[in-house]
Amino acid sequence: MRYARPYLVETLTAVGLIAAPLVLPHLGFVPNTINRILVWGLFGIGFDILFGFTGLLSFGQAAFFGTGGFVAAYLMTTAGFPHVVTALFIGMIAAGVVGWLVGLIALRRTGIYFAMITVAIAEVFFFVEFSPLASVTGGENGLPGVPTPSFDLGFTVVKFNTDYSIYAFLAFWYFLGMVVALRIVRSPVGAILAAIRDNPLRAAAVGHNVHAYKLTAFVIAAAYAGFAGGLLGVMQGFMPPDAFTFDTSGQLVMQAAIGGTGTLFGPLVGAALWLYLSDFLQKALDLGAAWKLVLGVVFVVLVIFLRRGIIGGIADLRALARGAGKAAADTAADGAGFHEEVGADEAMPAHHRASDRTTGPILEATGLTKRYGGLLANNDINFTVNHGELRGVIGPNGAGKSTFFKMLTCEVPPTAGRIVFEGQDITGMSVTDACQLGLTKSYQVNQLFTHLTVRENMTVAVLADRRGKFRLDMFRDPARIEGLNEQVDRTLHLVRLTRRADTKVSDLAYGEKRRLEIGLALGTSPSLLLLDEPLAGMSPQERIDTVKLLKSIARGRTMIVIDHDMEALFELAERITVLQEGQVLVEGTPEEIKANPAVQEAYLGGVLE
Amino acid sequence: MINWVNFASQAVNGLVLGALLALISSGLTIIYGTLGVLNLAHGALFMIGGYAGYVVYGFTESYVAAVVGGALFVMLVGIVMERVIIRYFYARPHEDQILVTFGLGIVFVEVIRFFFGSLSKVVPGPSWATGITPLGFMVYPTYRLALVAIVAVALVVLFFVLYRTRLGMIVRAGIEDSTMVGALGINVYRVFMVVFGIGSMAAGFAGIVNAPVVSLTPDMGEAILVQTFVVVVIGGVGSFPGAILGGLIAGEIISITSMFDPGYSYVMLFVTMTVVLVLRPYGLLGTAGRE
Amino acid sequence: MTKRNPEASRFTRRTAMQVGAGIVGGAMIPPGLSLPAFAAPAPLGTWPEGSAGSTVSIGAAVPRTGSYAAQGEDELKGMELAVQHINEGHALIKKISPKTTKGVLGKQVKLLVADSGAKPNNAVQAVQRFIAENKIVLMTGSTSSAVAVALNKFAEREKVLYAVAISGSNDTTGKDCARYSFRQCFYGETAANAIGPVLLKAFGKGKKAAFMTPDYTYGHTVTKSVNDYLTANGGWTMVTNQVSPLGAPDFSQYLTNIANSGADVLVNVNWGHDAVLSIQQAKQFGILPKMKLVVPYQVPFLAKEVGADIMQDVYAATDFWWTLEDKYPLAKMFVEAFDKKYGYKPEWGANNAYMQFAIWARMVESAGTFYPPDVIKAYEKGEKFDSTVGEVHFRGADHQLVRPVVIVKGKGPKAMKNKEDFWEVVEVVPGEPLMQKPDAFGCSLGDYT
Repeated sequence: MRYARPYLVETLTAVGLIAAPLVLPHLGFVPNTINRILVWGLFGIGFDILFGFTGLLSFGQAAFFGTGGFVAAYLMTTAGFPHVVTALFIGMIAAGVVGWLVGLIALRRTGIYFAMITVAIAEVFFFVEFSPLASVTGGENGLPGVPTPSFDLGFTVVKFNTDYSIYAFLAFWYFLGMVVALRIVRSPVGAILAAIRDNPLRAAAVGHNVHAYKLTAFVIAAAYAGFAGGLLGVMQGFMPPDAFTFDTSGQLVMQAAIGGTGTLFGPLVGAALWLYLSDFLQKALDLGAAWKLVLGVVFVVLVIFLRRGIIGGIADLRALARGAGKAAADTAADGAGFHEEVGADEAMPAHHRASDRTTGPILEATGLTKRYGGLLANNDINFTVNHGELRGVIGPNGAGKSTFFKMLTCEVPPTAGRIVFEGQDITGMSVTDACQLGLTKSYQVNQLFTHLTVRENMTVAVLADRRGKFRLDMFRDPARIEGLNEQVDRTLHLVRLTRRADTKVSDLAYGEKRRLEIGLALGTSPSLLLLDEPLAGMSPQERIDTVKLLKSIARGRTMIVIDHDMEALFELAERITVLQEGQVLVEGTPEEIKANPAVQEAYLGGVLE
Repeated sequence: MINWVNFASQAVNGLVLGALLALISSGLTIIYGTLGVLNLAHGALFMIGGYAGYVVYGFTESYVAAVVGGALFVMLVGIVMERVIIRYFYARPHEDQILVTFGLGIVFVEVIRFFFGSLSKVVPGPSWATGITPLGFMVYPTYRLALVAIVAVALVVLFFVLYRTRLGMIVRAGIEDSTMVGALGINVYRVFMVVFGIGSMAAGFAGIVNAPVVSLTPDMGEAILVQTFVVVVIGGVGSFPGAILGGLIAGEIISITSMFDPGYSYVMLFVTMTVVLVLRPYGLLGTAGRE
Repeated sequence: MTKRNPEASRFTRRTAMQVGAGIVGGAMIPPGLSLPAFAAPAPLGTWPEGSAGSTVSIGAAVPRTGSYAAQGEDELKGMELAVQHINEGHALIKKISPKTTKGVLGKQVKLLVADSGAKPNNAVQAVQRFIAENKIVLMTGSTSSAVAVALNKFAEREKVLYAVAISGSNDTTGKDCARYSFRQCFYGETAANAIGPVLLKAFGKGKKAAFMTPDYTYGHTVTKSVNDYLTANGGWTMVTNQVSPLGAPDFSQYLTNIANSGADVLVNVNWGHDAVLSIQQAKQFGILPKMKLVVPYQVPFLAKEVGADIMQDVYAATDFWWTLEDKYPLAKMFVEAFDKKYGYKPEWGANNAYMQFAIWARMVESAGTFYPPDVIKAYEKGEKFDSTVGEVHFRGADHQLVRPVVIVKGKGPKAMKNKEDFWEVVEVVPGEPLMQKPDAFGCSLGDYT
């Protein structure tokens, strides 16, 4: 849908920016306020990419706003550099570099730790600006005398020195910033960022270098902040030290949250409301300093009740108005989906990597041991799977099956032992690298990107296969990636989710989610696919269908399946490994396992869960 | 003034500041450890403690009454905050919790500004701790020394509550594994409320006992909040001993660096935090697992 | 548009007359600059819009929050009183600006106020607003030189006159001076040169001094000027200089360094509430009265807030103290009018603010137009006029008022005749010899247009 009308958003943005100075003054906005809104809005675009799209809540954006602003202002004032725009870009680059360095530290942690670290690091910048660098930045003085931009066109000099001409200057950069941001969020990188926001664990598991992408988002946000900081200096002819304060970061966060995150326009709307109210409350209502109290209350109420902000609220209302009829149709499709689709049941062949062979052992684990504190989860497991094999792994609860799988896919490092995949030692490798080598798994508990649609989910997985673990194609149209759509379509078809492609994952039925779970693993074109209880929680009919599905997937692919449903497993697998108390009890064909007395005692005769 | 006498003097300053930071940070850290909520209004609670004490002092002219009244008032604010808003955020993402407490912090600051204005307020110290105490190498304001003792007592009380009572057991178990505590059939939400109250009180108490050495302004909590973050990151999020250790380290770094150049004291503090993060990502006394 | 504007047409006529006078009087004004004035000049800054109606607006960014808020309120009262006096044609205004009848060039003056929090950013934002929305003809405000310097540059860029208000930095009329900005009050260099001899006489030569310096242009330049004087003329040494940020919540670390520095004299350059707090804490740390306190740039209400006992025998340099009413008739008029309206004796911030507006009114009347370059030239002519501290005049080369510096000494509780009688005026030092050469601090004024 997004691609149906190309450049619609861009066109509307341009129209809006042209109309704003004509319309807004009648609503009580003064020109200076409008200019400020644009600076905050541009600052906010970057922040939204970081927070709204990638899910990283930074309270330290002031560091980059200030860095960009002061570098640009320093060039234009003290250094006497005459080219305003070049100075702005240099400021932006400086902020980006600083963002990269800060990101290296801050992104070591996530969640609240990340938030706290960004606050603290931004504070360092504040103190550095004040004391050690005061001779350059002016300390408390800031840098006054930032010139207004002017361009010598040969026949005339265009000067941006009035409120309206400055508006034109700012609006141009806002527009450009928005166009770039739209490209980024629509690019493969944007898709992956959204996936990271939803489920960083799975994004890494399907083979994306999550840390590198987070860092990318961080640098993008820093660059936007830096450019906006430079514009602030140009707009008011003065680069204030306040740019570095916690207040600046906090105001940005509040504006973005008020306007609505994940929309790119949210911060602009938030800034407009913020600055308008601050004017209105102070001037019209003469509230004096109490204006901030009112805004604080507005903010808290919005966070409590309208957590997607104003734009999100409007979108929800629209969805509500249109939603009723559509929802009924959706549920009707639920059960039917699986059978109605017919056609080629071929999965995409496994992606052939240089190191791949076609015979012999694909995976060899020797002496695999995992210890959690005093608990021995896996003990000295030796395990080999050959190319083309379909192996089943069974064992009672607590036998260490999941831990075993986690070690094989490099989710957790083994305490001892060695894992060789396709002749390569992958012990201690990251889950992302393992996936890129062609080894991935589907999870026992669904690990999906719940806020994205089915197609978007699958795209994320397939992108990892098509683009490798990290690539900075921020301006690329995903539709132009060779084979991407085809592979997405085929995988969706294989797991029977074609008709549900544009449904949000959170709206899927349980069985559909399980199929998508497998589909995500499949989307990465693994040469070795591990399935952790793919049948868990399914109805008998769904189990039959899924076994059929697994059989079709297994063609031309090596698979290892854990499950409790032994009937299904005996039907599927060529060989079975039985785990018990963290060790291999026995291994053999289904018939041999069924006949084995030790297995019968330990498992078949024992407690079946 | 780089000499041993000054070093010793600054170390005493560091102890005063560190003790205060330790107390405030332990409030933040037990709330986070138990409830999983990072309270960005913690600095504002510290500030409210000072103002509440200021008001009580205005009526009673008694330092003790100001401290007790201020601390209890902030505890009440904390409990009301938890009951009315925070409890609805346990199930929401961390980001929402951060946003709402950040917003509440601003509301608190602005409410105080509304009622008390921006001009700073002064709370005098107790009569038994005015004047100067000779320390041999320097003279030191008596109240600041008393402050260390007062904060130490508060931390000991907090230690007993956390390590010697049933509530404390639950809190510490909750820090280890919050689902387990719930499974044990303990009314977790009641515990949450009490913990939020106690954590807030720690900040409020610090705010009022600190009031006689600084002057109160509505935005005094912001700088403290940031320093508290650093303390918690250094000590390890959720760790009570970590908060105390981190607080003392932070206080000493700030003070001892200022012997060389006060302009660098906060820069050094944050550099230390960065080093700790790189070498021990979960803090000096923290454990992996909580994010 | 210009034709319909009475202000613009008056400009043309009057300027023509002035230029004529200028040529006769020795052609002070370069002919190249004045020639285009024969034609109606192009709009400049808020001119002519700002003065087209029956009122003109002054925009003030005053700190009403933060560390300098108390001083800001005092300053604001001085401004309000001045505007009231200008509008009603008060006798005091007429002493300073004889051509004034009511208002300025017959237009009533309106004062617009915003809170700057002593932060340059807030000040610039507020003033930018006033220019855009209210077309102010004059901007003012600052109790922090950081604000003054920022507004200096901003005035230059926007071509709107700026009356500096309180600013003690040498830079304000030194390296950051501006064609559009004028300073009435004393500053680091004059303060240092005025108080220096008094200090040497009182404390002797070869003393050790500890400085407390707020970390911005005001603090750094005042500390430098004072230290330079004491070092060069009295052989004093600076044993430590504790630089703290504006609005520091606690000075214990700085004071500990000072306590262990072995200094004899503590020169506290901190200002506003920072001065109050740092002096109170210096007492707590036993530094006072062990060391002698000096306040080289007096802070309004300082003695009242820290207590007369601590301030006893403390030397300070200031711009104005109300007991000067015994010496200067204009001071008497001002103190009486102020006390009547606000119920307390004005501090120097109020006097400074009042004087600035009065001087501006004089200069506009003398130029006969609001056209900024003409008003600036009126200032730059350097005519002598009477003030609350005697006869003063502007120095054209750096836009600094040549005015005396007042040295005061804390009386102590016993010697105080009434509750506002904190200071004894030791000396009123004539301004001219205290000042550096106009270009010594790197002042280079910008263009007129």
